[in-house]
Amino acid sequence: MSVNKDDMKRTSLSAKRGVVLLCVFAFLLLIALVGRLGYLTIIKGEEYRRIAEEQQYSDSTIASSRGTVYDSNMNVLAQTASVWLVYINPSKITDDNREDVVRGLVDILGADEDKLRQDIVSKGSYRYLKIKSEVEYNEKTAIMAYAREKKITNVIFNDPDTKRYYPGGTLCSTVIGFTGDDGYGLYGLEYFYDDKLTGVDGKVFTLQDGLSYELESGNKIMYDPVNGENFVLTLDNEIQTILRNACITALQDNAAENVYGVVMNTKTGAVLGMCNVPDYDPNDPFTISDQKTLDMIAEITDEEEKNKVISDARFSQWKNKAVADFYYPGSVYKVFLVAGALEEGVINENTSYTCHGTITVGDRHVKDYNPIGHGVETPLTLLVNSCNTFSVYVGQRMGISLFYKYFDAFGFTEKTGIDLPGEGTPVAGVTYHSPEVSFTNSNLVSVSFGQSNQVTPMQVATAVSAIGNDGKLMKPFIVEKTVDDSGNTISETEPLVKRQVVSETTASTVASYMEEVVKRGTGSNAYVSGYHVAGKTGTSEKTGVEEKKYIASFAGFAPCDDPEVTVVIVIDAPGGARYSGGDIAAPVAGEVFEKVLPYLGIEPSYTDEELAKLSSPAPDLVGLSLTAAKAELGRTKHTYRIVGDGDEIIAQSPEAGRTTPKNGVIVLYTQENLPEETAVVPNFEGLTVAQANQLAVSRGFNIKISGSAFSTSSVVAYKQEYREGTELEMGSVITVYFKTSGISD
Amino acid sequence: MASENNGASSARGKTFAGGFISSRGGLWARGSFDTRLFALLAVTVVFGLLMLYSASYPDAYSEGYEPSYYFKNQLVGVLVGTFLMLLVSKVNHKMFMELGALCGSAVSVILLVAVLFVGSGDNNSSIKRWISIGGIRFQPSDVAKLALILTLAYILHRYHHLVVSKKPLKGAVPDAVNGFFNKPVLNDSAKAVCGCAAVILLYVGLVLVGSHLSGAIIMMGIAVCMLYVGEVRLTWFGVGIIGVCLVGVIAFSAGLIKPYMIQRLVSFVGDNEDPLGADWQTNQALYAIGSGGFFGRGLGQSIQKYNYVPEPQNDMIFSIIVEELGFIGGFAVILLFALIIWRGTVIGINCPSRYGALVAFGITFKLAMQVFLNIGVATDFIPNTGITLPFFSYGRTALIVNLVEMGILLSISRSSRIKKV
Repeated sequence: MSVNKDDMKRTSLSAKRGVVLLCVFAFLLLIALVGRLGYLTIIKGEEYRRIAEEQQYSDSTIASSRGTVYDSNMNVLAQTASVWLVYINPSKITDDNREDVVRGLVDILGADEDKLRQDIVSKGSYRYLKIKSEVEYNEKTAIMAYAREKKITNVIFNDPDTKRYYPGGTLCSTVIGFTGDDGYGLYGLEYFYDDKLTGVDGKVFTLQDGLSYELESGNKIMYDPVNGENFVLTLDNEIQTILRNACITALQDNAAENVYGVVMNTKTGAVLGMCNVPDYDPNDPFTISDQKTLDMIAEITDEEEKNKVISDARFSQWKNKAVADFYYPGSVYKVFLVAGALEEGVINENTSYTCHGTITVGDRHVKDYNPIGHGVETPLTLLVNSCNTFSVYVGQRMGISLFYKYFDAFGFTEKTGIDLPGEGTPVAGVTYHSPEVSFTNSNLVSVSFGQSNQVTPMQVATAVSAIGNDGKLMKPFIVEKTVDDSGNTISETEPLVKRQVVSETTASTVASYMEEVVKRGTGSNAYVSGYHVAGKTGTSEKTGVEEKKYIASFAGFAPCDDPEVTVVIVIDAPGGARYSGGDIAAPVAGEVFEKVLPYLGIEPSYTDEELAKLSSPAPDLVGLSLTAAKAELGRTKHTYRIVGDGDEIIAQSPEAGRTTPKNGVIVLYTQENLPEETAVVPNFEGLTVAQANQLAVSRGFNIKISGSAFSTSSVVAYKQEYREGTELEMGSVITVYFKTSGISD
Repeated sequence: MASENNGASSARGKTFAGGFISSRGGLWARGSFDTRLFALLAVTVVFGLLMLYSASYPDAYSEGYEPSYYFKNQLVGVLVGTFLMLLVSKVNHKMFMELGALCGSAVSVILLVAVLFVGSGDNNSSIKRWISIGGIRFQPSDVAKLALILTLAYILHRYHHLVVSKKPLKGAVPDAVNGFFNKPVLNDSAKAVCGCAAVILLYVGLVLVGSHLSGAIIMMGIAVCMLYVGEVRLTWFGVGIIGVCLVGVIAFSAGLIKPYMIQRLVSFVGDNEDPLGADWQTNQALYAIGSGGFFGRGLGQSIQKYNYVPEPQNDMIFSIIVEELGFIGGFAVILLFALIIWRGTVIGINCPSRYGALVAFGITFKLAMQVFLNIGVATDFIPNTGITLPFFSYGRTALIVNLVEMGILLSISRSSRIKKV
């Protein structure tokens, strides 16, 4: 057979060449595979590896902590605290543990039982069901202990979460703002500095298998979180409290719609306090705080309208109106008018003008509030009397372009640039008249006394500070610095001079006029003994509202010779009979000055007049013999009262150095362990300074006079430190607040 | 007839199987053992076993088995297969001629038919490829491929004179055809070719009926190569191509080609169309290969084997090898196969017996096709066909059959006049 013949040959195949061809072909294919492999691993390797890692690593976030906000004394204004989020894995719920799970969640966390039972059924195959967020530590501990006890730790879980707290509650609400559920700032500083406060979340990349289970052997890639910057504000809790309390009192006393207040460092533009009331609690921003609004909402029956009103009320209470809202400054603007006119030489200190109570410009007759006129006036008395006719005259002398030059220079045509959101944007032709748009000779009349150009409280605060700051307009700011968690300063705000608006001389002249306004003019209710308050009051009529409504305001600074603090108080739509700035806004500002200046450690400097009229310090009598003490008191013109039978003074009230009024009472104790002599505080309200002093001395008390300093019949007490009927140690000093009523400006 | 056999072999042959055996030179093969091929195989099998362990333990674990479950099963396959390989390598390959063709075909046809009725599928699919006999689960097509090689080799060898004959074919129809062309277009080779075609159609047809496209493709490939090497005239290939086209059209219209087969082709043409569908497996394999880079993540360090690449121990094991050992590792695998293929070719070319040469080529082609189709799929070079990588992929029957085939190659090698050490 052929088989045996084949055995003799080296090869059996006649198609050897074909075989080699096939083999070569096969090798070419394998080489192609090697090429393909090289392409995939070397050229496309990076790309595929990246795609692979995207699916192989699950990234979980390590929340960065939002920055803390402090006041200038490092009191916490806003802070992020740890809370927990409790969730369950419904797929692990069985017939055996269902009741335990439901009971625990309902009883401990207060979950809605019906909804929970529904969810457990409808989402039975899910691995995640959120039960409650913002769970506090105690609650979280309780539910987890319960889970361990009932052996349902495979069902109930918790994740760390954060919550924003505002320890001051309403105190700084409109300034600080608040954050939303997602932790991002929605209003105020929280919104404005959201980027810096937020920080950068960290991430952990965990290796997981194709079914999303963590691979235990896998390494983890961690990126540490970078916490947000901490903010230290120029705002001072103490000053803010003083300001806000004063504003709230003003709101209630005058049945006003809003009261705005700004306290600022006159020289740097640093905001020390800022509020508008009614405000809200940022811990619970959706609740409407204003009782009047709530009453109004309660009366609405239509559900849709009700929701709209509620929504509007929320937006309204969240708004920082001290920077956002425009109003007519009224006579306060005369300060800037006079400053500009003096600077330009349109008038000088001695320019005289005779006020007849009216002035006619073109076809407009402007009446002063004083129908018989103020008689012969100088620029000083223009401000002291807040004379409209003289103002109109000065405005006419300046003309549109010069008037506008200073309106612009004092910063009323621009945002102040404060680092807070929602600042009102001045618009030519809308909020104010500009020569290009709508400024006419006719409205030059009304803008001269502040009636048809609108400004914001913040603009007024910076402009009036420029008068107190040698004519330099500052850019206001509220963030003093930002610091990291170790307290290292990251950035610091440097005070910024925007421009020299008027010369130093002009500024100090106008400032001295303003001091006179407070001393003896329409601003007398802002008078604080020893602190040389300079200011100007204003009353304007609101336009575009149905009823006749007014805005009363005061803007000023103190001490006049070296100003430290600027205060602006604006009372929007007072509902009472009194609505003038001098009547209702000046006393609020006076109260703020009186409390803030000593708090800032500014020493009072009394004029001789003030000293003679009002007070002298109590002498140190302890240790003296009774006779010597009596002689000393005769010299200082104090009266006295002796308690005990001893010959030597062992205690005195008030203690040495305290300011006591002229003829004030000093109680001298001559025996140890005697009960303190007490008396009942009388009612001082409605009394003049002299009457009040007399009454106090007769009861064995001393009074400290606050507010208007004139001992005239128009200045009467309206408030006292201790309520009538309080028992107090004799000799105690009781602060009594005086003010002038019936001021027109 | 037995005069050319040496005495000892002849005597032993007679003792065991009488004249039938002695006419082919005895039951046991003469010639020395092919150490080179064996060494290549040993390295490949050990390498394969190691990579199988690495690739399979996450899947074993996630399916609730002990991590070494697949490894242990495969190890049994390696031990049994190696034993059979060494046994077969001792047997004179000419013993397989009629035995291989007839018994192989009979067993294969029975199994291929049986699987249609009692078979089970992969992962609950309706496609039935597996059959269980006595607790051993295997794919009949694995056995059928070897049977096809043996059968074709036998026919092409036994009727070689007909294959190359130029004598005009007798009969009414051939006469008419030859008369029409006025030359002997149809000659005696038609008889042999028709015989081969009948066998091929039987095998491929049965596999296609069983919806096993990849098996059919490999069988066709083996058949075409063997016919070519068996000196069938190129004219017949032209006729064959036309015939296959006709069969394909008929098969499609008869519903024998299933939509999922089309789907696989479509998924290859349309790039990344459906990430969770047909492309999922391929994309995951690509991510694995790409993540390997040049040097790989390191042995055992694959991440893609953790439920990303589905059943990483099966078709896509090559991607896990590359992820762990990089381009270097993948290249090593291809190189090992290239060397085995080269060795197989050399053995075939130098085999004095046409039958031996044809079997050697058939086995070598089969291996080459499987390697190319598997790695081609894993590297997204060709459409997903579902062919395993010999010696690496999990599967005991396939492994044992592969090793037995290597045993046959080793046996043929004994008679080849080549260096063995």
